[in-house]
Amino acid sequence: MIGFDKAGKRFGTLDAVKEFSMTIHDEEILGLLGPNGAGKTTLMLMMGTVYRPTSGKISVNGLDVVQHPNDVRKMIGIAFQDPRVDGILGAFDVLNWHLKMTTNLDKVEREDRVEKVLRAVDLWDARNKRTWLMSGGMRKKVEDCKVLAQRPKIAVFDEPTAFLDVPSRLLMWKMIRELRDEGSTVIVATNMMDEAERLSDRVAIVNLGKLVAIDTPEQLKGKTKGGEVLELTVGNGQEFPRECLTQFSEVQDVSQENNKVTVYLSGGRLLLPKIVETLTNRGVKINSVHLKEVTLEDVFLNYTGHKLE
Amino acid sequence: MSSSTIQVTSSNELSVPGSASRLLIQMARRDIATLFRTPWIIISRSLAFIIQLFVFAYLISRLVVSYPNYFGYYAVGAVVSTVASISFIIGYDIFEEAEEGLLDYLLTLPIPRREFIIGRSLGGAVRAMIYTIPMFVIVAVVESFANPISILAALLDLFLIAFGVTGLSITVAVSVRSANRFDVVLALLELAVTRASTALYPFVALPFYVQALAPFSPVSFAADSARQALMKSSLDVLGLAGLAAFVVIFLGLGATFYFRRLEGGVYA
Repeated sequence: MIGFDKAGKRFGTLDAVKEFSMTIHDEEILGLLGPNGAGKTTLMLMMGTVYRPTSGKISVNGLDVVQHPNDVRKMIGIAFQDPRVDGILGAFDVLNWHLKMTTNLDKVEREDRVEKVLRAVDLWDARNKRTWLMSGGMRKKVEDCKVLAQRPKIAVFDEPTAFLDVPSRLLMWKMIRELRDEGSTVIVATNMMDEAERLSDRVAIVNLGKLVAIDTPEQLKGKTKGGEVLELTVGNGQEFPRECLTQFSEVQDVSQENNKVTVYLSGGRLLLPKIVETLTNRGVKINSVHLKEVTLEDVFLNYTGHKLE
Repeated sequence: MSSSTIQVTSSNELSVPGSASRLLIQMARRDIATLFRTPWIIISRSLAFIIQLFVFAYLISRLVVSYPNYFGYYAVGAVVSTVASISFIIGYDIFEEAEEGLLDYLLTLPIPRREFIIGRSLGGAVRAMIYTIPMFVIVAVVESFANPISILAALLDLFLIAFGVTGLSITVAVSVRSANRFDVVLALLELAVTRASTALYPFVALPFYVQALAPFSPVSFAADSARQALMKSSLDVLGLAGLAAFVVIFLGLGATFYFRRLEGGVYA
């Protein structure tokens, strides 16, 4: 179990992480969802003992990261957002050295594991190609493979599928799930909604260094006002009469960003004709109407007041 | 249930790392390995050394008649100043790693910080030694140095200067934050340490302003001590003690600054 207890990290005058409290359960995949600069990487590097928290406490399986950094490091493997690989080495040597440093496997086992993981991600034929000559996607795979080959107790992936094509993304998700099934606790930092939703057992929404919400994707969506979202596009520059919609008991909230109006509601299908009629009668020009189930993007918008971009 | 993509059959249990000393050696081997990835550098620098020895040193030794066997003096000093120069490279490596973010990765590895720093210093020193050995062999053959004790003593001098300069280089690398300033500081320091010394020129022949600095240069200690061992077959205890002090001071400083930067400075 990993615990953040009012953890904070300040760089100069910037609070990258503030009063952050959260518990990560054993053998779960926790998605850290937030925009760039939200503090996700700082959180992971504090947990990985690279950054020291400036306030609060972080414990990994009962060990304080400041008091017992060496013991904590033994449990963790981190795949960085930007590949941190020795450019002059090939993928095989990068992974082989990583395993020398993080496992006590003998040479045969180590090389066997490296081969299996490289074959799995279709990099075996390019195993000796210097990583600085590889494409962004290939380098990213090598970075992810470090942790996939290491099989640590706590596996951390920062944007694991950035630069990857669709089949590679699906494969990476499968391999991350397998890691969890083998007993690893997995933390995935992402700013991709579908990745957070499809991969995570629970999602923690992080914004401006703070924990905004944490729960299963279903629960988060369920908690979002109403459970349905009506997206309307209205005429440009038109003032939107908010109060004419909030009169309906099924409407939980209404927000507007430029000419896009988002209505959180329940029983949307039944209410839709009434809403359109009411707005038309008030002279609002409706360009488009889209009724959908709540997504994590709506959850993020609902909690933070802005879209994840 | 579908089978695992990576069939980890031999060690299905989650992985744990080896001992700290094993990791220290791995860390040192990583720095040493960088040398062998570009073997042409060793070859080209060895060729440059041969030219320096058999053209420049040969020529100048014929002009210098007041100093007996100046060729031998210069040859041993050139090996010492080369090992010192190469030892400075670790500082550039560390600075570059920090800039490229590779240091963040290295710091996530399960090696205690102390072993991490010692491993880097050891790797840098051994790398410089390996780099210089071919040059040392050339000089030993040309000058007919055959006494094994003298050779061992001279190699000890080389290792100590390499270890100490590595510590000095690490100290600078983690103390200077600006890339441009770092390049200038390290280049000037390298110049001062290797050139303001008695490595290549006898003390009596140095200009007075270099004479003021040369006795304090660790490269002077190493060069004079190595020459005494190889050319006079005697141990320069004072020189060795000076070198040992240099190693202790700068490895200690390097380790302290590095540790502070990792645990309390930029990464705090």
